[in-house]
Amino acid sequence: MPKTPYPKEQMHRIAYTKLSQQQIADKLTGVKGPTSVSALSDVFSGKSMRIITDKGPALTYTFGRNNRLSVGENGANAVDLGYGALTLNNISFFSHLIAGTQRGYSVVVDQDTNLATVFELWFSGYQDNREVQREIYYGYVEQPGQPAPTARHVPTNRVEGKGFYWKQDTGAETLEFYPSAAYSHFVELSRFGGELGFCGPSDYVRINDDLYIYTRTECEFSGTFTLYVMDLNRIEQIGVRLGFDANDTLEYYLFRGEGEWLGQLAQFEKFGDETGAPVPPAANGETPAKGARRVYRPFKTMPKMTKAEVDAVCDKKTTAFAPASGPGASMAGNLGPATNWLAGKKLTLRYDNAPAMEYRFEDAETLQWRRESDSNWTKARYRAWESMPGVILFGHLLEGMPNHDGHSIVADFHQGLVTCFNGYLNTPYYANEAGVKTLFGVIEMQGLIPPKYNRHYFTDEMVGRAVSQNYAPGLTSMHLYSTPHSLSWIIFTTSDAGGLEWSGPAAYVKIREGLYFLYWLEEACNGTLGTILVNLHTMRDVGVGYHCGEQGLSMSAVGAHERLAGRFDILRFYQATTSGRMV
Amino acid sequence: MKENANSTRRSFLKSGLVLAAPLAAVGPPRVVADDGLKAHLARLEDEAAIGKLHQSWLRQINSGSSDALASMFTAAHGFAFGHAVRNIAADHAGEPDAIAVEPNGKSATGRFHCAIESEDAIPQDCTLARMAHAQGGGFVRRTCRGVLKVEYVKVSSSWTVARVEFASV
Repeated sequence: MPKTPYPKEQMHRIAYTKLSQQQIADKLTGVKGPTSVSALSDVFSGKSMRIITDKGPALTYTFGRNNRLSVGENGANAVDLGYGALTLNNISFFSHLIAGTQRGYSVVVDQDTNLATVFELWFSGYQDNREVQREIYYGYVEQPGQPAPTARHVPTNRVEGKGFYWKQDTGAETLEFYPSAAYSHFVELSRFGGELGFCGPSDYVRINDDLYIYTRTECEFSGTFTLYVMDLNRIEQIGVRLGFDANDTLEYYLFRGEGEWLGQLAQFEKFGDETGAPVPPAANGETPAKGARRVYRPFKTMPKMTKAEVDAVCDKKTTAFAPASGPGASMAGNLGPATNWLAGKKLTLRYDNAPAMEYRFEDAETLQWRRESDSNWTKARYRAWESMPGVILFGHLLEGMPNHDGHSIVADFHQGLVTCFNGYLNTPYYANEAGVKTLFGVIEMQGLIPPKYNRHYFTDEMVGRAVSQNYAPGLTSMHLYSTPHSLSWIIFTTSDAGGLEWSGPAAYVKIREGLYFLYWLEEACNGTLGTILVNLHTMRDVGVGYHCGEQGLSMSAVGAHERLAGRFDILRFYQATTSGRMV
Repeated sequence: MKENANSTRRSFLKSGLVLAAPLAAVGPPRVVADDGLKAHLARLEDEAAIGKLHQSWLRQINSGSSDALASMFTAAHGFAFGHAVRNIAADHAGEPDAIAVEPNGKSATGRFHCAIESEDAIPQDCTLARMAHAQGGGFVRRTCRGVLKVEYVKVSSSWTVARVEFASV
């Protein structure tokens, strides 16, 4: 029986070793060049060429036999090295490190145009030494007696919105999505079992309308760098992977791959805008350093709190649905009108897998709750919204619970069904990081007879979809529901290009046709539990955010206008889908 | 992101801003004019100097050179204006610029129809906002049309900006 290769720890939980410069130097010693499963190309053997770049080095190469070359940088003495090369039609690609250093080059040459793009790569360029740094130089292969070409390969957004399944000659299978012009999202099917997707800063370079260069650095994780040239029509790739894996073993190999086109998401830039690299590498007025780029480093910046610290901060400041200037208020700019339908009502939410909750709703913003076995009522502030007739989302904190729980609840009063995303703190990795339990059940109240067997259920109907959300002026993002158990969020730039991107565990519950209740956890990020009820009929979402940080515990409202951005055909890649599964 | 917004009347500069501009250099008169002609000439010179001052002020605002702008302001007031407003453009669909110098020649007012683009930072109170700021965004730009009402004071023979108000139309 084939086994799904789930890892002991998901990528965002692996404690990658903080390798020292010396450790990296030791690991690079003796590396002769990249390995390759596919036969390396001898396209360059016996040839010499000089690559001129616009704002970078001039590289003089002489290629010998047996994957050896000599390279001189900016006229300096040449050094002999091992290298590897692959070709993809008119594209030749080679990669090498420079012995005695922690750097090297990967070079893409278009043999038809003699244009070349050079990626200088190096370790120990960031506080996490294992994170591969890169600088891109655009140029050409000098042709004696001919003028320098004026054209160049260029950064582009033409890859934005695409998604592919790739299978490398190494056997590695991935789903790779490019919903941003500055980041990408990838699902490791064969290495990590495809449970979650992850994100990394990326470059997209246009060679021509068919061929593009893509890079990804697994920042915040292993720091591994991947670069490939892809032919969008033939759906073939050649590239290189450089970095240290979770066991600190050097990965430096060339690969060849084939894939499948998964679909195309919408782009939101103005028509005619095909510019790439939409996120400036440095702040206004600052000169970017070599290799500079904006990298979202949520784990580095996340407050990491102990249980004692969480208990103390929750005691000190707990806020539910603060006014406009309170925690998370920015996300409520496009919140629809609240409902007071619950005011004055009494009901019990009887969960199959948790204690029943009794409610007395005093008014539109105050309720009392107790677990069925308890004698005392607890007052809480709540807010409620009716997303679809008869379907009400409401949320409240559960003061006094040892794990500072918060409930985000969708109650369908037509069907008598309820689903609760039960957020809680004091989770295993960081106490302020939210965890979630999904509770299914029924509504018991006067005049309503609930079903005996019917329940809301987990669904994969959202998997593959992308939906944009405008929460308020200047706050626009997009969700990509990339696996049955995770989603990615993309933040648009001021030019409405996809910019920074991150991802987290998620789940989707079907409430009604076109109405989905979903959550995501911002694990190793800032610990937030986000819950939204997505109405695909009105293209509006409403929801509740649950967050604990150094400023306290908060529950806040979120609401957005949405747009469908497309859908990838990806369900077939997951071994076990969740359609119809009950907890 | 740009949005048109109808802002209420607002005062960017409360008082006391000093943006110095020397009077335009004037050559010796070729004829001795009567007092009325002298006064008329002086008013024209003042209007020209204030016009130049206004253009210089606009250039500083629009070029985003807040440091240079700040150096021209009194320390207590300069920056608040420079960070909120990103661009001021003349509104040629509005009324012509009007500069009125008081008879004593020591103070003046200006009315300039324009479109002001302002930039308001979004509070970093959620993941989305923090990520927007991290990529160089995280603000809302608004453009509104209105009238800049500027009060000028002559200090040591140089015109200075004493107060600027913007009223939307």
